[in-house]
Order: sequence, then C-alpha cells, then structure tokens
Amino acid sequence: MVAALPLATAVFVFGVSFGVLAAAIHTPAWVAVLMSATVYAGSAQFAALGVVAAGGGVPAALAAALLLNLRFLAVGAHAGPALPPGRWRRLFLSQLIIDESYVLGLRHLRRGLPDGRTMVISGGVIWAAWVVGTMLGVAAGPVLGDPRRLGLDAAFPAAFLAMLFPLLKTARARLAAVAGAAAALVLAPFTPTGVPLAAAAVVGLVVGRGNREENAP
Amino acid sequence: MSLALALMVAAGTWALKGAGPQLRHIPDWLERRLGGLAPALLAALVMSQLTTSRSLVPALDAKLAGVGVASVLAVLRAPLIACVLAGAVTAAAARLLGLP
Repeated sequence: MVAALPLATAVFVFGVSFGVLAAAIHTPAWVAVLMSATVYAGSAQFAALGVVAAGGGVPAALAAALLLNLRFLAVGAHAGPALPPGRWRRLFLSQLIIDESYVLGLRHLRRGLPDGRTMVISGGVIWAAWVVGTMLGVAAGPVLGDPRRLGLDAAFPAAFLAMLFPLLKTARARLAAVAGAAAALVLAPFTPTGVPLAAAAVVGLVVGRGNREENAP
Repeated sequence: MSLALALMVAAGTWALKGAGPQLRHIPDWLERRLGGLAPALLAALVMSQLTTSRSLVPALDAKLAGVGVASVLAVLRAPLIACVLAGAVTAAAARLLGLP
C-alpha cells in the first residue's frame, strides 16, 4: 500500500484536473464525482469530457471513452486469474484493476501472475484518491471563473498530449499516433462528429502497438 | 456532460473491465492491435480539439499557443498537471495579449 502512495498522489492531482474541467463545461458536481467513482478510468473520462466540450454528441463521447478502455480486456485477461474466484466478486474486484494497480501487482509476481492482494488494495487506495480529487476539483472549479479567460479550453488537448507521449515508445505506436491524427484531421471537415474518432480507432487497430522486440533501438 | 453519458461510460467500462477475467486468453497479436488504439485515439482527440468542422487547418489562436507550450512539456515528460497548467496559463496569457 505504501508503494501506491506516489501513484495515488499523481492520480489525486489528475482527479482535481478532471473535476475542474468537468465544472468548466457545466457538469453538475455530483455527476462528475459519480462518474469518477463508477468509471474509474482517467483517460476515458477526459476523452468523454473533451468530446462534449468540443461540441461532439453523446455517441462520439461514449465511443471515444470505450475505445480507450478496450485495453482493460487485455489487462483483465492477464490479471483475472490472480483474483479470488467467483463471478460477482471478480466483476467487482476487476473494476479496481487499472493501469497503475496492475503495474504494482506485476512487481510481486506469484507463479507468473501479478499479485491479487496488491492490485486490489492499491486499486482501492488510488480509487479513493481519484474520487476525492474529483470532489476537490468540482468544488474549486466554479470559484475559478470563466474557463476561456483561464485558458481551460487548452487544458483538454494539453492533457491528451501528456497522456499520449509516454505511449510513443515503439515505432509502431508513433505510426499509430501520426496516422490516427491524420485520419481525424482529414475527415473532420467532411463528416459528422464521431466519424473522425472512429476512423482513428480503426487506424489504431490496423497499425497496432508493435512488439518491443521488433522495435529495438 | 450529462448524467446519462456518465452512466453509459460507466456501464461500458464495467463490462470491459469485468469481461477480461472471464476470457481465458487474449492472443498476442490481438493485444498488440488493441495497444494501437490509445496512441491513435489520443492523437485524434488532440486534433479534434484544435480544428473546427469548417477547416483542415488549426486556427491560429490562444488555444493553439497553449497546446504548443503543453506539447513541449509533454515531450520533456513533464507530469500531466504541469502540461495542463502550462497550456492553460499560456492560453490565458495569449488572450490577455489580444489573441482570439
């Protein structure tokens, strides 16, 4: 649990950002907090918020969020066997297995599997940080004033860039990013909202992330 | 953002996180493909924030200035909050100086 604290602090700050931005686009405070408590997936929540802020509709926002969360299928498939048995228990506990708790679990491999207790406890601690951060953000948000005057509209693309760069470790991932951006850019003036993002998702699937081995520097 | 959207994202996310443990095994090739989604989507999201439905060229405004500064910080692996704050402060300052 102590190992989770630095990650929890970072997630707390991330949660505050989410709360502030949610408030800036007039999301009711309780809705933002409920979202953080039930979704517990930062990049997806930011994506949904960002699409709505840019004028996109619910389908596009929903698609962006869920496409970004598809990776949990892979995470869950790996980490699932480390959880105690039972369909409902696993359904609930798997909600706590996010990128951060999964990585912490990998530090204590048991028989090739990440440690279930580590994942669940750290997942819970980080969840608390996420929710409390969101609460603070939505409380502080309205106090801050006009979002445009504060440059908060730049905050969304800034956050997406900050999330993007650490992923660009392989040549394939970089290609996926460039191709996804190009697809969205080209389609944006000609298609309804949602289509550019869907096209970027298809491009991402086609290009893939690549293997660490095949991309040795 | 509406309650409906938040709940739908939650439902979908519960399904995705919950389905993982039920699946026995995800083949490597599929996992690598799924791994391409986040970079492509995040890059596309940046683009969608910068362009409007009218033009291919991002508008030369305060938001773009903020994003430019934020991207420098992102390349330098600054923490997310630093990128967001730098981007916001730059855009706010640019607006004070008269940029749209």
